[in-house]
This record gives sequence, C-alpha cells and structure tokens, in this order.
Amino acid sequence: MIEIKQPIIEVRDLVVEYKSHPLPVRALDAVDFTASADETVGFVGESGSGKSTLAMALGGVSRSGVRPSRGSVQTFGRDVFALRGQDRRRFLSEDIGFVFQNPIGSLDPTRRIGHQFFTPDGQPLNEKRVEELLSSVGLEDTGRIMASFPHEVSGGMAQRVCIAMAISVNPPLLIADEPTAALDASVKTQILDLLTELRARARSTLILVSHDLHSVRKYCDRVCVMYGGRIVEAGPSRDVFDCPRHPYTAALLRSIPGFEGPGGRIEPIPGYPPSLNGQASNCTFAPRCALQIPVCRENRPPVSVEGDRTKCCWLPGNEIGMEISQAGRGYHA
Amino acid sequence: MLSRGNPVIALQDIHVRYVKGPPWARTFHHALRGVDISVQAGQMLGLVGESGSGKSTIGRICIGLLRQTAGTALFDGQALFGVGQRLPGAIGAVLQHPEWSLDPLMTIGSSVEEPLKRIKGLGKAERHDRVADMLGKVGLRGEFMSRYPKELSGGQRQRASIARALITQPRFILFDEAVSALDVSIQAQILNLIGELQQSSRFAALFISHDIAAVRYVANDIAVLYAGEIAEQASARSFYEPMHHPYTRQLQRASGLFVDENP
Repeated sequence: MIEIKQPIIEVRDLVVEYKSHPLPVRALDAVDFTASADETVGFVGESGSGKSTLAMALGGVSRSGVRPSRGSVQTFGRDVFALRGQDRRRFLSEDIGFVFQNPIGSLDPTRRIGHQFFTPDGQPLNEKRVEELLSSVGLEDTGRIMASFPHEVSGGMAQRVCIAMAISVNPPLLIADEPTAALDASVKTQILDLLTELRARARSTLILVSHDLHSVRKYCDRVCVMYGGRIVEAGPSRDVFDCPRHPYTAALLRSIPGFEGPGGRIEPIPGYPPSLNGQASNCTFAPRCALQIPVCRENRPPVSVEGDRTKCCWLPGNEIGMEISQAGRGYHA
Repeated sequence: MLSRGNPVIALQDIHVRYVKGPPWARTFHHALRGVDISVQAGQMLGLVGESGSGKSTIGRICIGLLRQTAGTALFDGQALFGVGQRLPGAIGAVLQHPEWSLDPLMTIGSSVEEPLKRIKGLGKAERHDRVADMLGKVGLRGEFMSRYPKELSGGQRQRASIARALITQPRFILFDEAVSALDVSIQAQILNLIGELQQSSRFAALFISHDIAAVRYVANDIAVLYAGEIAEQASARSFYEPMHHPYTRQLQRASGLFVDENP
C-alpha cells in the first residue's frame, strides 16, 4: 500500500456484495485503501466500477444496508460497519459530511432552506450560525436564500447550501459523490475550488468521486483508478495521469476527449465492462487489454508497490509503453 | 462566418425574445441578440456555452421548431421555421437522452423506420433494407431490430437514436448534448461514430455541448456563445491552445484544459 504517515481511514480486504440472482454482484472485490488527514483523494472509473460504493463504505453506508462479506473499514479508528444506534448516528452526523450529485434533490422540497439546518442532536440551528455557514460557502444575500425553497435557487447555489450543511459540524472527513455532475461547466470549477479551499482550511480529508478525470487531476492529491470493483492503480494524481502504469488507466485516458492533440484520435476501450456477478479469479480487465499475457486470464494480479504508487497488474516493470499525448491538454503551457 | 459554397443552414442577425408573465406584468428575456452562423454541407459547427447562453434556442431555430423574433433563418435558401412539415426527413436531431427519441413501446427497428414512413414512395421491403443497413452503420447487429429500448445499454440506445436521425439521409443534423449523458468510456465510441458518419454521409451538423474538449474533437469550427451573442468563432484546431477571449478561456479551464497555465 501507499506509504502514509497518519492513516485516518484504513480499508482492508473489503468485499461488498449486492444480492442478485443467481449470483451476487460483487461491487467491491478485496479492496485495500488508506487515507490520511489533510489530503484530497479522487476515485475515478466507469459506471459500475465501485467508486461510489467504496466512498460510501468509508462512512459505513451502503445500498440497502448491505454489510461487507469480508474485510473491514476503520475510519478514525472505529469499525464503521459495527457501529449501531446512537453511536452510528453521532458518527455520521459529526464526523462525516456528505455531498451528493443532485443538490436540489438532496434538500427537503417542502421547507425553506433556512429551516433545513440541524445540529447533530436534531435541534434547529440558530439563524446566525446558518447565515455564517452560508457566507462561508460564498453565498451572498443569505437572507433571501434562507427564505427560499430549494426549487427557487439555482443548481450551483443549492450545491453550495448542501456543502454548507455538510461542513456545519466541521467534520474531519468530507465525502463528495459526483458533486458537480449535475452542474454547469463554469459553476463546476467554483464548487470544486470551494470544496478544496474548505478542506485546506480545516485540514480535513476530502474524498472526491468523479468520472471527470481532468478535474481529479487538478484538484486531488492522490487518485485511485477503479475497475470491476478493484483499485487497479493508485498514486499522486498528476503522476498517475501523466505516466500511467496500468493498461486500464492508459486506455481510459486515451478514450476521453482532451488528452488528444490537434487532429489526434481518441480510442474507445474495446469490449464491455466486466459482469460483476460472482467472483473473478483473474484480471477483470484482461479481455479488453491490449497488453494481456496468458497469466492475466488465469490468476488474480498481485498488488505491487513502488514508492507512493501502487498497481494491480501482471505486467512486469512500470513502462507499459503507453505514452499519453501531452499536446491536447496543454498541461505543459 | 464561413464563405465557402452555399450554406445548408444560414442564420443572419437572429434575435429571440421570450415573453413571460400575464399582459399586465410582462417580462422579456433576450435569449439571442444578433447571432450570425452558417453551416456548409460536410461541415460540423460546434457550439459551446453555459446554461442560459442560448445554445438550445439556436438548436430549436436550426431544426425549425422556433421562429426567431427578428433576423433571417434559412435552410437551403428557404425559411427554416416549419421545415420539418414541408420537407419531411430533411433535418434530423440527436438529443441528450436517447430515451427522448425512442418510444419505449416500439422495437428499435420500428423506431428507426418511423421517419421513413413520412417519405412517400418507399415500399415496406425497401424501408426494412434501409433500416438494417443503417443499424449496421451505427454498429448495431441485425438482432437489435426486434429489441426494445430497455433491453439496450445507454451507448447502444444512443446509437439507435443516431440511426433514427440519419435514416432519412438528412442534409442537416443537430446534436444537442449528444454525448453528455454517456459514461466516459462510451463517449469515445459515440464521438468517433459521429465523425465517421459525417465523413461518409457529408451532412451539415451543429454540435451543441458544454464540454469544449468533446466539441473541439468532432467539430471543424467552434462558436462560443455568451449571453445570447457569439463571443468568439474559430477553427476547432485553434482551441487546442488557450484562446484569447476571457470567457472562452474560462470554459477551457472548466473542461480541465490548460489547468497548469499561469494566469
């Protein structure tokens, strides 16, 4: 695993399976992950790669309340899936802030925004504090916003309100699941700038789930690239995106517009994402991998660590011979 | 503005004003203020801008659904408004969500065939052949003809909606956020498909998106729309460098391009 000074989150050998017929869907397949205080970690991957499941599992939250079939999640030294009742409620309301994709959908449509802020005990937050919070996320005219219903404000404003709620107790961990997917391009940068700034100010940890690789490269210190419920590559985000070591990372980067040069061509990843029903005993990317060798289809690849980078691949060495064109993205500029 | 050949779509000094509210409390919103664009056969014009900049208003004018408040909008020299009724099949559209163009109760085959029924003189056998041929072109095998939209993945559904837009061999196609709702890895397939089909069919196209990276990949030229006006128009190639207009630069940064640049 990546060398980290003070891990506040430790995920070990985590397996999460959702019920399905005839075989369960293995959304997370033996995932190891750690994060320390004062950093931003991005989870990227295609739909169904397990990035949201992993991010939610860090807070002990899962779809239909499914518990891990194996492994553990320790966040701030507590086994989050073992927490019950009052302990769990306090943990979720005091230690973690969640920000979701659809800001207007995350708010109660029947209440004015000013009446939707509560303390962890369920008491309404006093007006002055709400005003303070709203101005700390860059909202002006707080009085009008507090008196508005969610449908009366724009998507960007509603997302700022959601962020204000998430940080109301200064949680040491903020989990943002696609916080900008429903927002306009120019609002997107504002929201990501805000999240990063708040994180840096509080020296907390931000987990950013996104399919937008350009944003993750810009805003995250580290990135975990997920495929088929596994972390296939992890490391400092700029290093991973500028010089990928896993064939999937390279293929993903070559398949999105923005990394190609003028007149260049983006190349779709051939084939389809793997079916996660049942347990895979090999490399799930092998059928789509241009560099596969026989062992890839037979055995699960080992996780290799080198410095601050890890990869889960059978190919030896770090040079996978997949240079990513620097021309199109202008990172050199 | 481009000056080669006769444009398929020509918008000159287009103004659109939306009227809101009851007569005693009228409010006006200027969605477009003097827009000039033209698209030649075989050309793909990209249109970028944020929500409310007027992108979709231009799109609606270009497919003849909205009449401009002032200015001239022409399709092959004829008035654009209502062209869908006058010349069935001359214009196609691919929208953000393929579900908007595919009837959930119809098979993919019948959905793709439907626009052909409005064209006179085509027999059932010929229609069937054309549908099979078109589905092949968009990469859907013959067996997809009898399937329903819910049985297809998001990418396959978008392929089907592209087939439906192209089946009548239109002279102009509008792509309104056609890849925005697709997963990262599927976007590449659809963008390449659109590029290939345009190369072979030589239709004129308007590609609307908020993602400047996707637009510069498929389009020949790009117009940047800001508050109802064209802020900047240039060849797609030039968008691989930081642009001069501050708003364009902001959009480039928002798409994650040129992020290391010193301001």
